[in-house]
Amino acid sequence: MTGWHLDDDLLRRYAERTDSLAEGASAEQHLLSCGPCRARVNAAAGVIDVAAVWTRTQDTVEVPRPSVLERVLRVAGLPAHEARLVAVASAFRGAWLAGVATVLAFAGVAAAFGHARGMWLFLAVAPIVPCLVVASSYDPWLDVAFEPELVTPYPALRLVLLRTIAVLALALPLVLLFGLVVPGAAAFAWLLPATGFVAVVLAASTWVSPLRSACAVSAAWLAVIWLLAARSDAPEAVLQARAQAGFLILAAASFMIFLIRRRRLRQLRPWG
Amino acid sequence: MDSRRSDEQLLLAVAERDMGAFRALYERHAGWLAIRLARRCNDRDLVADAIQDTFVAVWQRPQGFRGDGDIAAWLWGIAIRRLVSRLRTPGGVAAVLGSAESAPAAEDQVLLSVEYGDIGQALARLSPEMRAVIQAVVLDGLTAREAAQLLHVPLSSVKTRLYRAKAHLRAALAEGSS
Repeated sequence: MTGWHLDDDLLRRYAERTDSLAEGASAEQHLLSCGPCRARVNAAAGVIDVAAVWTRTQDTVEVPRPSVLERVLRVAGLPAHEARLVAVASAFRGAWLAGVATVLAFAGVAAAFGHARGMWLFLAVAPIVPCLVVASSYDPWLDVAFEPELVTPYPALRLVLLRTIAVLALALPLVLLFGLVVPGAAAFAWLLPATGFVAVVLAASTWVSPLRSACAVSAAWLAVIWLLAARSDAPEAVLQARAQAGFLILAAASFMIFLIRRRRLRQLRPWG
Repeated sequence: MDSRRSDEQLLLAVAERDMGAFRALYERHAGWLAIRLARRCNDRDLVADAIQDTFVAVWQRPQGFRGDGDIAAWLWGIAIRRLVSRLRTPGGVAAVLGSAESAPAAEDQVLLSVEYGDIGQALARLSPEMRAVIQAVVLDGLTAREAAQLLHVPLSSVKTRLYRAKAHLRAALAEGSS
């Protein structure tokens, strides 16, 4: 630090912008390294409302940074408030994802090594994972943002569909990934049943709570698999073209019902 | 006590998420940064936004300061670039460099020539456009591209004006010394 400091006159002209370029430049160079002179400039008439900007700055830094998923959704073109609504779904919690991945991993490994019985296990688990995940993404019982959502004038249909799409975008690759270790056509045969079940859960949630309908659908599916497995050793039954077409019709019909009854979604929100 | 802590100590505390230190750092630097930014951009709201962006960036990445040089200079580097990136968004219009549009008073002229000699006078004779470019590129250390955004002129204009300003200064100084 040199002994030279801004004199009061130059300081005043600097703040008022009546100085010359050379004066301004040397004043600015000096200010970068001289705390006392900076304090004197701060004391001069401010050009902005420093206190107000502080409040804004503090507000900004105290808001938690959006999660990775939320930022991805924003990049995908969703407005910030919708990204927050979608990302808050409980299905996106780390614990939930880890649980789903573990179940799938067991089923996939069993199918890869356990031949017919493992294959049954995979066929039993893979199709119901998406509908359980979807149901948990908007079931009031699991929804941490349920109360804010209840009082927000936001279309329930849009919220449910957005979350369904986001959740499926996350869950399907997981199931597909574990499906890769499963030999034969079974690796992809679960896709249509899974789609059908998701649609059924969406439609059923206009009557009962989503989680209950997902549990009911899962139980029914497990029972069917159990019966099929007891009767024959060939998992191919679910893979037949006729069965697959049935699931497709189930999916389409359920989705139609869901769309027709969509207005019931909001009234049914306080369920659970 | 915050007033006794150095900028470096405050910044270390900010890295530890100390809101009090962050506030102290803000109060120490927001004022002069805003005054200096306002000399580049007449829009006070944009200056306020740039100050906010600057300190949000400091809070998020206090480790961006490598420990070399003054924290004030580091902050200025962030602030001017935040201002430039605010200008990049549509609607951000900068009217730049109102300084000394009016002719300086006679006694200021004398003072200036005493204090800064030939270079000061040579600079004073530059056109406002050339001074703006000199200020952005030479004094603020911006790249030609950033200067073009700040001044709202094409990149090529920044380059030609800078070239002409340098030639002008060189000629003026050579003339003065001979």
